[in-house]
Amino acid sequence: MSSEPIERRVSYLGDRLKASRCQICGKEYFEIRDYCSNCGRKSYMKMSPVDLFYEKGKLELATLVTEPTNKFTKLENFVYGIVSFHNGKIRVPGRLTDQIIKEGEIVDVASLEGREVVPRFRRRYSVSKSDVVPTISLAFTLADEYYPHQEYNVVEQGKEYALPGIVGYGVYTSRFRIREGVRERAVPFMDEDSITAAVEAGKVALIHSGIDSSHVGKVYVGSESNPYAVKPIASKVAQVLKLGEEDGDVQGVDAVDTEFACKAATSMFKDAAALVNYPGSGVQNTMVIGADNSQAAPRGCPGGELDLFVGYGAAAFVFGKRDVIAEIEGWYSVTSDTPDFWRRDGEPYPMHGGRFTGDPAYFKHVKKATTKLMDKLKLKAGDVEYFVPHQPNPAFPVKVARDMGFKEEQYTCSLQVNRLGNTYSGCSPVGLAAVLDIAKPNERILVASYGSGAGSDAYLLRTTSQLPDKRNRQKMNIKNLTENKFVQHVDYTTYRRLKLGM
Amino acid sequence: MQNSPALVAVGRTKFGEHYGKEPEKLIEEAWLAASHECGLERKDLEACYISDCFLPITNKLGLEEGFLSELTELHVPMEVTRSVSAALLTACNAIRAGVYKTVLVGGIEKMTDRWDKIRDDLMLLEDPWSYYAGGTPESNHELMLRAYIKKYSINGADLDKLNMALAQVAVKNHAHGAKNEYAQYQRKITLEQVFAARKEARKSLGLYDFAPVSDGASALIVTSEAKAKAICDRPVYVLGTASATDYLNYPARDDLTHFAASKIAMGKASEMSGVATKDIQVLELYDQSTVTEMVSLEDLGFSPVGTAWRDIYESCKDYKGYYTLGGRKVFTNLNGGLKADGNPLGAAGGAQIYEVFKQLSGNAGARQAEGELHYGCSNEFEGFGTKSYINIFGRTKP
Repeated sequence: MSSEPIERRVSYLGDRLKASRCQICGKEYFEIRDYCSNCGRKSYMKMSPVDLFYEKGKLELATLVTEPTNKFTKLENFVYGIVSFHNGKIRVPGRLTDQIIKEGEIVDVASLEGREVVPRFRRRYSVSKSDVVPTISLAFTLADEYYPHQEYNVVEQGKEYALPGIVGYGVYTSRFRIREGVRERAVPFMDEDSITAAVEAGKVALIHSGIDSSHVGKVYVGSESNPYAVKPIASKVAQVLKLGEEDGDVQGVDAVDTEFACKAATSMFKDAAALVNYPGSGVQNTMVIGADNSQAAPRGCPGGELDLFVGYGAAAFVFGKRDVIAEIEGWYSVTSDTPDFWRRDGEPYPMHGGRFTGDPAYFKHVKKATTKLMDKLKLKAGDVEYFVPHQPNPAFPVKVARDMGFKEEQYTCSLQVNRLGNTYSGCSPVGLAAVLDIAKPNERILVASYGSGAGSDAYLLRTTSQLPDKRNRQKMNIKNLTENKFVQHVDYTTYRRLKLGM
Repeated sequence: MQNSPALVAVGRTKFGEHYGKEPEKLIEEAWLAASHECGLERKDLEACYISDCFLPITNKLGLEEGFLSELTELHVPMEVTRSVSAALLTACNAIRAGVYKTVLVGGIEKMTDRWDKIRDDLMLLEDPWSYYAGGTPESNHELMLRAYIKKYSINGADLDKLNMALAQVAVKNHAHGAKNEYAQYQRKITLEQVFAARKEARKSLGLYDFAPVSDGASALIVTSEAKAKAICDRPVYVLGTASATDYLNYPARDDLTHFAASKIAMGKASEMSGVATKDIQVLELYDQSTVTEMVSLEDLGFSPVGTAWRDIYESCKDYKGYYTLGGRKVFTNLNGGLKADGNPLGAAGGAQIYEVFKQLSGNAGARQAEGELHYGCSNEFEGFGTKSYINIFGRTKP
């Protein structure tokens, strides 16, 4: 049993790695301090808040943990040590995450000392299923490995566009993969889930957009694998990323979770864009995140077919009217009550309708939304540079694209399902991100998501000249994530274990 | 000074696993032994200071004073501290102030009643942020060793010697523990066992480098000097009691290689007692690990900084029952230390003082240190050096 007030306080400080600096003597402290211990009473009101969330640290000392405390037993063996920031002015405890150390494996901890590390927002440790999910950013990865360190520099927003659109985006997925035949899928590490992916994706999207996080007026998080039945992921995202105006420990932002199977995030693109376009809203930016630790029953069990395709990851998009990289030119959504895939409350894994998920579900809705949008905008397949169909498996998006007359070069580059797996709510957003990574200015992108239950959102985007300009701000692009030499492959048993998490 | 505090009797239980006994039974046993030794009855007690580190967690005992009152049928002032040294310090201050003349100081801990959760409890209480980040009760010791090796640039043959010295600490303490009928482990171990355990753990420190989890109780009867002389032939004076405090969070401390609180407490206790490090012959260190025994030798001024491992290595090559420090014999952890004697947190400091008392009064039996003994010292921690207590005792006053 954890205590909720204690949990709130530890998370409030630990998720963002909040620290303080004395304006008089410069001494720094981990955690928030009202006074400096050197300067005493005269330092009251003179302590500046500092946080280490976007910083790079150094692993000063390291040891191996082979007999963890009870709450860490699922991590089995891990490197633990002391991390310093700001040239040693602040030192914090931390563990290295994203490392699978086998039983009996010798680790040369001394060789890790002195390496640069980056904080990762992760689950803190195991708790009972009825408890609050504890999180912390005292988990670190080596800065020269899978996740590069990225600075968050706020850029003055410039040109205002006629239409609202995407001003920045980011994709987050884990270091681990399972490879079966030609298919590769992302597997979360033990301490990851849809909450951690949503926060990390939002973080890289902020970095890419360069917007001030306080300008975000609303954040939407779409997921179907929220560890909570009741409690939003979006509130965690808003608090950790400091979205909206900060006032004490409350953020001036609206945050909401959305759910519609795999289209929970894409459904909100239009709302996010509309909100920044609405004259009276006063909202400069909005954020939409699709995040899932895609659930699937083990193979051989009912619903186990999904286990061949499920992935892990999140994509986040920042919307606005200034410094837009892709304007939203139009959309069309369709919905019908089609029960092709569902998960009842309290059930761990979703069920699906087998062949019923094809023609009457995916194909019907994706084609309908896409056709309607193209008719509305008087477009033919050849008029757009890219088509991004929802990609629950490798076959469906190719078939729907071909049926609708799109050519291979228009849709292939968006297909990441063979490299990251089906990331559910993050799935078509990841496809869109892959296209934005390579598109040139003034190109048209047609996105068609699909959500079981069922519906599809089709969007037409047009890229701007700012798209290539902002590219160098983002090291965590699809190419880096998929062709990263630090990716580690795991076997089926490990994949199932990691997916269950702490 | 009529009000100088003195120890007139000590008692303790065997440390180890006491599955069949409630915490009350353990302190009763320790008290009765002390009471028997000096002939004082419970009605003679004017106050009780009892320590336990986490009985409220392990045994769900929130108001320890209540069960002590039931046990003793005493209605005198009773207070609970977290360590025996803290209880002793408070008792001695009361005696020095002339408030009381006869006080019971004791400690109890019952860790095995919560054996499956004890490491989490320990770490969470000792250093919460480190616990949240994945730290274990062992990891801070391992990190301190890394910090020490780096700070003093110890490598090659010297590093081998340091690793050997730490192993020798464990072997030495077990050798002493083998002569202690109250010790948790009354058997000798070998260097090979220590090294094998480290290999098994894949780390610089292994099972034999750490003190165990234990149950046990200890009791000390402290009186004013005048009272002591009236009831006891050879009282042991409590000449200095001092403590100092440091951050809970080890990584945030200024110096990761030493315990700042120990250095400060030693300075104050020396000043108070008029007894310098060089005068101390019997030493009880708080060896939570072999590393803390090594580092504490430096913190208390027995070895120059960065050299304690060399002193240990040289003393233990052909161990004669004492460390040779600065050309003097220093009898260290003759009860077996926490390593062999056991480490029931709230009671362990009492066992250290028990040993110093027995040695100084010449009643330590098979463990009796040779020569004319005048001064002894015990060092106790709460947490990982978050609090450090120094007690200096003497057969006579300097």
